[in-house]
Amino acid sequence: METLPINFLIKDSPASVAIVDFNMRFISHSKTWLEEFANGHSSIIGRSYYDVIPDIPEELKSIHKECLEGRPDANTGFKLIHPNGSVQWLKWKINAWREEDESIGGLIIVQEDITEEKRSQELLMKAKSVARIGGWEVDLISNRVYWTQVTREIHEVSEDYVPNLEEGINFYKQGKSRDTITFLVSRAMKDGTPWDTELQIVTTKGKELWVRAKGEAEIINGKCIRIYGTFQDIDERKRAILEYQKVSDRLAIATGAAKIGIWDYNVVDNILVWDDNMYDLYGVAKKDFIGAFEAWEACVHPDDKDKSLKELDMALAGVKEFNTEFRVVLSDGEIKHIKAKSTVKRDEEGNPLRMIGANWDITKLKNTQLELLRSQESFEGAFENSAVGMAIVGLDGKWIQVNKSLCKSLGYRKSELLKLTFQDITHPDDLDIDLKLLRKLIDGKRKSYQIEKRYFHKKGGIVSAVLTVTAVKNIKGELSHFISQVVDISSRIEVQDKLTKLLDVTSEQNDSLLNFAHIVSHNLRSHSSNLSMLTGFLNKEENEEEQRNLMGMLLDASESLNETVLHLNDVVQVKAGVLEEMIPVNLLGTIKDVKKNLGVLLREKKARCSIQVPTTLNIVGIPAYLDSIFLNLFTNSIKYSSPERELCLKITASKTNDTIQVSFSDNGLGIDLEKHGDKLFGMYKTFHKHKDAKGIGLFITKNQIEAMNGRITVESKVGIGTTFKIFFQVN
Amino acid sequence: MMELKKIQRTCIIDDDPIFIYGTRRIMKEVDFCDNILVFNNGQDAIDGLKELIAKGEDLPEVLFLDLNMPIMNGWEFLEDFVKIPNPDGKKVIIYIISSSVDPRDLERIRNYKMVNNYILKPLSPQDLVNVLQDVA
Repeated sequence: METLPINFLIKDSPASVAIVDFNMRFISHSKTWLEEFANGHSSIIGRSYYDVIPDIPEELKSIHKECLEGRPDANTGFKLIHPNGSVQWLKWKINAWREEDESIGGLIIVQEDITEEKRSQELLMKAKSVARIGGWEVDLISNRVYWTQVTREIHEVSEDYVPNLEEGINFYKQGKSRDTITFLVSRAMKDGTPWDTELQIVTTKGKELWVRAKGEAEIINGKCIRIYGTFQDIDERKRAILEYQKVSDRLAIATGAAKIGIWDYNVVDNILVWDDNMYDLYGVAKKDFIGAFEAWEACVHPDDKDKSLKELDMALAGVKEFNTEFRVVLSDGEIKHIKAKSTVKRDEEGNPLRMIGANWDITKLKNTQLELLRSQESFEGAFENSAVGMAIVGLDGKWIQVNKSLCKSLGYRKSELLKLTFQDITHPDDLDIDLKLLRKLIDGKRKSYQIEKRYFHKKGGIVSAVLTVTAVKNIKGELSHFISQVVDISSRIEVQDKLTKLLDVTSEQNDSLLNFAHIVSHNLRSHSSNLSMLTGFLNKEENEEEQRNLMGMLLDASESLNETVLHLNDVVQVKAGVLEEMIPVNLLGTIKDVKKNLGVLLREKKARCSIQVPTTLNIVGIPAYLDSIFLNLFTNSIKYSSPERELCLKITASKTNDTIQVSFSDNGLGIDLEKHGDKLFGMYKTFHKHKDAKGIGLFITKNQIEAMNGRITVESKVGIGTTFKIFFQVN
Repeated sequence: MMELKKIQRTCIIDDDPIFIYGTRRIMKEVDFCDNILVFNNGQDAIDGLKELIAKGEDLPEVLFLDLNMPIMNGWEFLEDFVKIPNPDGKKVIIYIISSSVDPRDLERIRNYKMVNNYILKPLSPQDLVNVLQDVA
């Protein structure tokens, strides 16, 4: 081959040209080849194509091999992906050159790097594909239709699908869409008017899609030869728009129905726009509306104006959102409560441009709230000031709210009670029934219950009460709390107790009166019977000595009768003495006086007295009774002292909160209490063989003590001594 | 008046000396009994009767018992008396003799089976004649 001149020619060729031998070694190349494909080598002559460009894929190598066998090759775009991931597009033309003997000596390769070109083409394709824009063309002469890949994808047809014009049109949804496109295409073919419209198609898979169809016609010599255009899937956007439309329609219907007025206030130009609901809300006729801020301001209730304007300013200043309530006065004087909410639109610097908001009528709500408040207030008033103890009790038994009466009944302060549960202060014997009934309320088996139960007062005492518990449900119908009403019946029960006691006293007195009557009759009868017997004897007796004897006995009997009458008189006086006035009497003084009066007797018995009584102790009583009581106790001790030992007396007294206790002990004979305890203080009971034992002393003593609201008890052991304890009430 | 059999031994339990005097006198009058035991209260009577048994002597056939006495009254005597072991098993006829007109006392007497009857003071000769008739 005459290489030299060719080499020379090749060297300056504007295209990248290279000549290689049968072994793909470079024989010659253009300057541009060295620039584009030498891979940084300064000289490639004599080196192998594959050494210079090492990552040539097998596919290209086999192409080269085929060319060396005499089959030329051309490629307008071959994508070469290098191992590092970079992409290179090549375009080539390869022919074999022959030796003089016609055998193939090597290849002439014209190669071009079209990566840039390809990339922008690819981007465009991608962009079209992403935007779902397809192209189409109808050649009216051949009546052939061409669709791009995206167009086919939109129609959901196979890649080799080729439609005709009629089929193309039939993809449009029957009715409005198909009629429209038919009209537009016909018109364009007639006078070349282009179209741009949004219509619905039905894909082969039956999917309805919104598309934007754009097209124009090419008319040559008054005849349309071609129509072409683009086809874009806008379904998503269109549906979103349609949805938005629907929503705003719905909103308009909703705001209309709910009478929510929408307003738009242009802050900069002072333009106020109201929707129809606003006119209704404010009772303003549309024609009278001046369309400025002042129109609104004029309607606001004078008492709310300052506050509303201030809030509006704050909203515009961005301090606080305009979310408020105010009243408006309608032209007929009606007052409406309006709830307002709005947002402020601002420019880039934050200056307010517009305010858009909503107003609605909350008059009914307000009135209901007011009524609720009023009824709540009246409930609270009734609750707090009720004479009945009332409480709101939680499901866990905790007091949520308690009133004054309950606090008073239970002796707790409100704050103390609120820390407790009702279980804490319920008498344990009454807790079970209370909890059982409460369970029934919780289970919904009852609506309320009432029991009589006992609480513990803070000071430990028992508070008897009638408790009524009612279950209260919340708006969802769930149990929310209980209302307890506690009627304190302690005082009622106390009165009942007092009454019972009084009844006991009365019946006791009745009994003792009856006893007294029998005693009177018995004792008087015994004497009178003696008298009548003795006089009977005397009547018949003739012996003088015996007569004198009888007379003596008669005298004794009449004296005994007299004595009995005197005793009975004493007893009657004690019973009647209750009416006498009680005055404070010094206890120690009384005891000492009695002891002094009995001085001779005590000395005779060689009695020793130990008196330990505080000098300040006073007993409110009847002085004569106190004298008599101690006189009796002293004389009893002297009378029934033991002959085996010297008499020892011990008198002590002490005072507790409400009682003065006096203890009077001796070391005398003692009384068998098991035998005689029940009648010790009875009338005409004697237990000792003593000449002076008359059985009246302790009976009178007991009656005198009881007349002064006191009581007396006795402890005694035969042969050891006796202790009497007297209890006087301080008040 | 028909001849009635005299009581062998009788007993008066009472604390009133005038009553005892009167009763002795009337007993003599109607020839009621020659052997008369006197005790001034229930306790003395219990002690005395026990002594009789210990000596192997007969218990009194008829016993007059007062209710209101010191130390041990008539009721208490009755309680204790039934507890005394009676060796020969002879019945002692008891009369309560009292000035009490208290219906509660009369009611109570009915509850004591061993009490034969109640005699209201003052005691009359006819009362004792009736006793003799009862005993016979």
